[in-house]
Formats: sequence, C-alpha cells, structure tokens
Amino acid sequence: MNLVGISINHKTSPLDLREALHLNHDEIVTLIPRLKNSLFSEGVVISTCNRTEIFGFPQNQELDLSSIIDELIRFKPVNEIKQEHFLKFFSCGAVRHLFSVASGIDSMIIGDSQILGQVKEAFEISEDLDFAGAALRRIFDTAIKTGKRAIKETTISEGAVTVSYAAVQVVEKIFSSLDKKSALVIGAGETGELAAVHLRDKGIGKIAIANRTIERAEKLAKKIHGEIVPFQFYKEHLHNFDIVISATSSNNIIVSYDDIKSAVKKRKNTPLILMDIAVPRDIDPDVKKIDNVFYHDMDSLKIIVDQNLQKRKDQIPLVQKIIMEEMIGFFGWFNTLDVVPTIKTMRLFFEEIRNDELEKIKNKVSDEDFIKIEDMTRRMIGRILHNPTVKLREFAETGANIKEVAANTMILKDLFNLGSIPSNGKGINEDKNNPEGTNEKK
Amino acid sequence: MLQPIDILNLFLPILYASVFAAYIYDFFTEKKFVNNSKRIILFVTLILHALYLISRTIEFDHPPITSKFEIFSIIAFSIGFSYFILELLTDIRGTGAFIILFSLGFQIVSSLFIEHNYTVPEVLRNRLLGLHVVNALLGYSGITISAVYGLLFILLYKNLKANKFGLVFNRLPSLEILEKLSFYSAVIGFILLTIAIIIGTIWLPSAFPNFSYLDPKLIGTFFVWIVYGIGILRKLFGNLYGKKVIFFSLTGFAIAIISLIITSTLGKTFHSFY
Repeated sequence: MNLVGISINHKTSPLDLREALHLNHDEIVTLIPRLKNSLFSEGVVISTCNRTEIFGFPQNQELDLSSIIDELIRFKPVNEIKQEHFLKFFSCGAVRHLFSVASGIDSMIIGDSQILGQVKEAFEISEDLDFAGAALRRIFDTAIKTGKRAIKETTISEGAVTVSYAAVQVVEKIFSSLDKKSALVIGAGETGELAAVHLRDKGIGKIAIANRTIERAEKLAKKIHGEIVPFQFYKEHLHNFDIVISATSSNNIIVSYDDIKSAVKKRKNTPLILMDIAVPRDIDPDVKKIDNVFYHDMDSLKIIVDQNLQKRKDQIPLVQKIIMEEMIGFFGWFNTLDVVPTIKTMRLFFEEIRNDELEKIKNKVSDEDFIKIEDMTRRMIGRILHNPTVKLREFAETGANIKEVAANTMILKDLFNLGSIPSNGKGINEDKNNPEGTNEKK
Repeated sequence: MLQPIDILNLFLPILYASVFAAYIYDFFTEKKFVNNSKRIILFVTLILHALYLISRTIEFDHPPITSKFEIFSIIAFSIGFSYFILELLTDIRGTGAFIILFSLGFQIVSSLFIEHNYTVPEVLRNRLLGLHVVNALLGYSGITISAVYGLLFILLYKNLKANKFGLVFNRLPSLEILEKLSFYSAVIGFILLTIAIIIGTIWLPSAFPNFSYLDPKLIGTFFVWIVYGIGILRKLFGNLYGKKVIFFSLTGFAIAIISLIITSTLGKTFHSFY
C-alpha cells in the first residue's frame, strides 16, 4: 500500500494560515490536473475551513512528501507557511488518518458530522476529473462507512456543542414539541441567526425577529420564514411568545424584571423560556425568580456544551475501535489484490493442461465417454486447486504479514513456473492499485 | 396448588427487584440492550403476578382482597400494570424505576406477611365488592403514578431553575410530558375511583345496613375525590399549568395517604374487614 497524504489542520497551524490555504471547489478542480501531471496517478484533495489535505498514490515510488507540500504552496502561495505546519502520512498511517478525519475524531469540534459530507464531496470531485481509481474508491468508501458507523454506533455526534444549540436543547426539556410554540429572537447577529435556524430546524410553530437594523431583521426573517417585530415595540410583544432568545450587542439590560413579570401575568402564568446568549447580558437575571420563567444565560448554557464535549471525547476509544475494524477489513481486501492474479494464473495453468490432455484423447473415445472424462477432470482440477486457493486467500485476508503473503505467492509461482505462463494480459501483471483496470498504467 | 403459590410468592419480590434493577441501570447508563429488555422483564413479571393472583383466587375460593397483604400484592400488580400500559402508549421509558419501586415495596411486604386464608367473612365473597376493590386499587395506582410523575416534574423544574444539567436533566422527558403523564394518570385514577365509589354506594346498604356516611374512610375518600375533581376540572376548563397541576396531584395523593393511615390505625371504620 503506497498511499501517501499531507495535512494542515487546526492542530498544526493557526487559523489565519488555514484560512489562507483553504481551497474552494474551483481551486481544487484547477489543482488536481497539476497533481496528476507531476505527482500522483490518483488522489483526492480535501479542503474545509479547518483543514486542507491531499491523499494519493504517487507515480514515483520514491516520492518525497515535501514535494506535495511544495506543489500546494506553489499553487496557493501563503506567507509564513512552513513544512512544519504539515503532517505527513504514509501507507497504513495515511489510511488511519483519513478514517479518523471522516469519523470526526480529528475535527476541532469532536464528532463534527459535516466533515463526512466534505470527504465524500472531495472524492466525487476527483472521480469526476478521472483522478480516482478502484483502490482509492475503496479507501474512500470505507472512510465514509467508518464515519457513518461512528455516528450510528456511538454518541460521538450527539449533544449540543454550541451555545445556540444548547439553548434549543434546554427548550426541548421544557416543551415536548415546538410545532405549537412561538419564539422571538432579539438580535439578528451571527449568534441570533444560529439560534433562529436551530429553532426553525426543530420545527418551531412561529418565529419572529426583532433587530435594531430592520434590513438585517428582514434578511434573517426571510431566511427562516419568520416574522418581524419592530425593535422599538418588542417589549409589548413579549407575552405573545413562549421562547425569547436575546443575542444583541447592547451594553445594557434590554429586558427588565418588570417586563417579564408583566409578560408572565399576561400569559396567565404559562411557561416562558428566556435564553440570554448575549455578552454582556441582555436580560435581567433576577427574572429567574419568577415562577414558570426559565432563564438561562451563556454561563449556564456553557455547562451543557462542556458536558457534551466531554461525552464526545469519552466516545473516541469506541470510534477508534471502529476505525481499527474497518482498517482490518480494508487491508484484508487490499492484500487479496496480491494473490488474485496468482490464483487466476494458477487456475489458467491447470486448465490449459487439462484442455491439452483432453484434446489428445478427443478422437480416441466415444462422445459419451469424452463428456464423462471432461466432467471428471474438471472436478479433479477443482478439488486439487481448492485448498491452495483457499489458503492463499486466507493468508491475504488475515493481512498480518504482507511479506509472508508475498513469499507464499512466490513459492507457488516458482513451483509451477507461473511467471512464464501467458495469461492473455490478465493475472500476474495486474496493477494492485487498479484491480479493475480502469486507470491508465502507472 | 399451594406449592406453586408459595414459589411465586417467594419469586415475585425477586422479579420486581430485577425489573427495578433493569430500569434503574438503564436510567443511569442508557444501554441499548437494557433499554429493550427491561420491558420484557416487566411483562414476564406481570404475567407471573397475574397467574399468582388467579391461583390464589382458585385455591382459596375468594378474590385476594381479604387481608392487607393480599391487597398489597394487588396494589403492586396494578401499579406495575398501569405503568406498563402507560409505557406502551407513550413509549417514554426513562421513568419506570421510580414507579416500579412502589410495586417492589408493596410486593416485598405482601410476600413477607401474607397468609393462606381459607375462611373469610361471607361479605368478602361478594362480586360487587370484588369490582369495587379492583376499581379502587387501580384508581389508587393511577393517582400514585400521577404523584410520582408530579415529583419528577418538581425535580426537573428545580434542576432547570438552578441550571443543573446532570442525570435528571439528561434522562427525564420534558416538563410538558411529565405534566401530561401526571395529569392523564390522575384522570384515569379519578375515573376508576369514581366507579369504585358508585359501586360501593350501591353495594354498601345491602351489605352493611348500619353503616354511616360519616365513616372516616368514606369522608377521606370523598376528600381525595373532590381534590382530584377540582384539579381536573380546573385543568380542563380553566388556566391551570405546570406546577399548579402538579400541586393538585400531590395534594390529592397526600390526602389519600393520610386518610389511609388514619382509617387503618386511629379511626373506627366499617371498612376494616380483616
């Protein structure tokens, strides 16, 4: 396995460097032909806001991994970037790293499931540009399978890990369903927008935006199919909402104790949830003393986020176990690629002997006897070759010792002189990285 | 048939303990395997418990309502059974430990002290009495479950107010669901209690010509019925939400317990048959 890879990510470099090196779709499409020309027979470029990675099978077995980094920097020059900002992977390490990335345990926010889609998309680009063969397809299929298993079999992606989402998680602990509830988001900045989007995704019945700049409120309201409450009147509307999320940049309290007391009275004491995700706070924290008012601020929501992050971290060993299982499966398959041509040639060799001998007696026996002899020899060859075939596959699939597999294959070839058997262009000369012969010869 | 009855009597507390263990383990760990198997364990326990009660009825020729400890066993069964139905209907599985604990407690006391009772007063063989008792016990199970959900509501409410996001926050369903579960259990309990009261009222004059409507047991039951009735009506037609609904449930339950203690220890009531 001669897969190689390089990676610059949140563990190796600061944000500004990662941002500067980020490649958009068009840039990846432009870079791939350059990699194809000079470095790789096939490969994939993954680039997200937190990582840029290149994986591939080198054209030259002696490829220096630094040359991949040099090529990337030549393509997208970034000041102050150094070789030290990159991780280099080879063979098994490259596969393990890719599987770790796909399963989210290498992400900045552990368990981030978006990366799985990004890995998939990166491979599709390579496939579209005819830069991905069967072995690379198998690696990426297994990587995506690993990511899916991690999500399904562990809780690596569960629980809110952003304050906005934690706010929604608390809301769900108070109301059983949100489809008949209404929410007011005060402040249409990034945090407010995120909270509004989460609420919409959770199926909130009605949502309204109040923002000082009306244009911004309109823009967000349009995005989430919400209504607008004029900022100067939002206090008069508080009682109409079950959930109020405040995320403005105001330096002072904008929702007082009395505002909430009055709203709760108008609501006839039905529960009111207040999420203050602004710093400094927008809502007077004393409102938590009012019955049926659930007030949470950044500090309290941060507790949930930290707990969930810790829970995700605790899942890493389970994900690593899945990665190991998938690696064993993958290398089992990969190692069989070594023996498949040998098995094919061996079978062909015996089949040719059988055909020769059958040809010799064809005119010496009756048609009826010939059919019997033909059938008998077929079964005989089948039985003779059954054990060697199974054993060779077993050696390969266990994948414990690649050298042992090679040695056994070699003995077999020497014993029967298989190397000299013409195999119609198939068999022993097949390319392991391209078992289906779909790519040009390297 | 005595031997199987004795064996079941011995095993029922163990079975309820296993159910409780499965539910509490699942509450703390949320393991998929336990989550699916705990319901099966509860189902098997309830089947065996039903068999036990039927066997007693056949063997002793009267329904198992002739002593406190027979009734305790029926209470254990009806609480477990009511919860089982509730779990099936709502698929909310995280609260079972708190309910099954009651079944376990009642069954342990019952199994420890229950006796073989072949001779009972003739009045206890009456069919109407049987119906009255079954409805009353199922009704009390309903209000017990309602009270447990009420307590869980208060627990989660306080946790949310105090920004505590631990086990209670993670495992319990939402406040709104707990309120609904408490309310629906109370409604079912109230309906069954009403049926029990009606049957009792029809049957009483014929069985006890000298009974008094001022009997402490009747007064206690009436108060319980009134509290739940007011609570349910206010919830249905008024503006009763959250903690106030729970308040009615817990008050009704407290009155029921106090009434039970007073009538079985201090007051003289015709309702003591044993």
